[in-house]
Amino acid sequence: MYVVIVGCSEAGYHLSKALIAGGHEVVVVEKNPARFQLLKEELGSVALLGDGTDEITLKRAGIARADVVVSLTGNDATNLVVSQMTKHIFQVPRTMALIKDPKNEPIFHEIGVDVVVNSTHLVLASLEEGVPGRPLVHLMNLRVPGMELVSVSIPADSNIIGKRLSEIELPPNSFITLMVKKSGATLPTGRSVVDPEDELVAVTPEGNEQILYDILTGV
Amino acid sequence: MRVLIYGCNRLSASLVADLAGDGNEITVLGGERDCLESVATHPGVRVVLTAEPMMQDYLQEGGIDHADVFLAMSADDHQNILVAQIAKHIFNVPKVVCHLGSPQLQVMYAALGLEVVGYSFGLLQDVRQAIQG
Repeated sequence: MYVVIVGCSEAGYHLSKALIAGGHEVVVVEKNPARFQLLKEELGSVALLGDGTDEITLKRAGIARADVVVSLTGNDATNLVVSQMTKHIFQVPRTMALIKDPKNEPIFHEIGVDVVVNSTHLVLASLEEGVPGRPLVHLMNLRVPGMELVSVSIPADSNIIGKRLSEIELPPNSFITLMVKKSGATLPTGRSVVDPEDELVAVTPEGNEQILYDILTGV
Repeated sequence: MRVLIYGCNRLSASLVADLAGDGNEITVLGGERDCLESVATHPGVRVVLTAEPMMQDYLQEGGIDHADVFLAMSADDHQNILVAQIAKHIFNVPKVVCHLGSPQLQVMYAALGLEVVGYSFGLLQDVRQAIQG
């Protein structure tokens, strides 16, 4: 695959190294001369100095034959412009962008960015995972506005232990989509029985997470 | 008319002076304290001091939910593009105008259906006319 990365933060640097190691062709566009110099010393001709929101720079990066463009500048607005420009002027098949403000996610989906990576969400999910007692973990926001994917691990004293999923009343529009048991992951049915320490992955509307969490872990 | 203006600078200050009164409710969002203080002296003008990362919270504080007109007039093209599209696609503001300085971006976003304004639009024509005499 031919991947163009715009904006080389720490993440961009490690991503490009991983992609190169995986046999992909990569170009990294960096606007900051000092950071470009470091990149050039490390990665050689993969690095390109220039503004990734400028058509001429993008052409020099060979954007027309890119399979994927990844926008990793530290600025949500710039990442939006890079994505729209590569999509509409150069018809790049797949665009991915990093965002900082979780509230910007809907507009990125709306204008057609294929993959939106929300750094705040990721950090939050990792932190939640580290909290003792493992509360609800946010996995991702879905494309449908207001819906999200969460994971809940079932404590040993939950009163749903031993119950079938069909016996558990979930909040409206919430569904258990995956059940991860010690023996492995299964697609749940109404007859699946909940055991202690099961990990349940569910789709739920934002704002219903707490109700869902209380039902699944309640005593 | 409820008008929400993003960005406080000479351009938006002139706009405020022009639109203030006439029963218009104007709100100006911006990070430029001095400019906000000066536009706030006009009647019926409310100002909201902003800081970049939480932009959407400020848009709501500025009343984007029920604005009739949204004007993205800051000096930052990328930020204008982001907030103008949020106003248009997420909050369905009936009239959205976006100021852009870059001729490339002007052409592209006009083609994508944004109502774009900017100096170089007219400037290009003026230069061409000047050459042709």
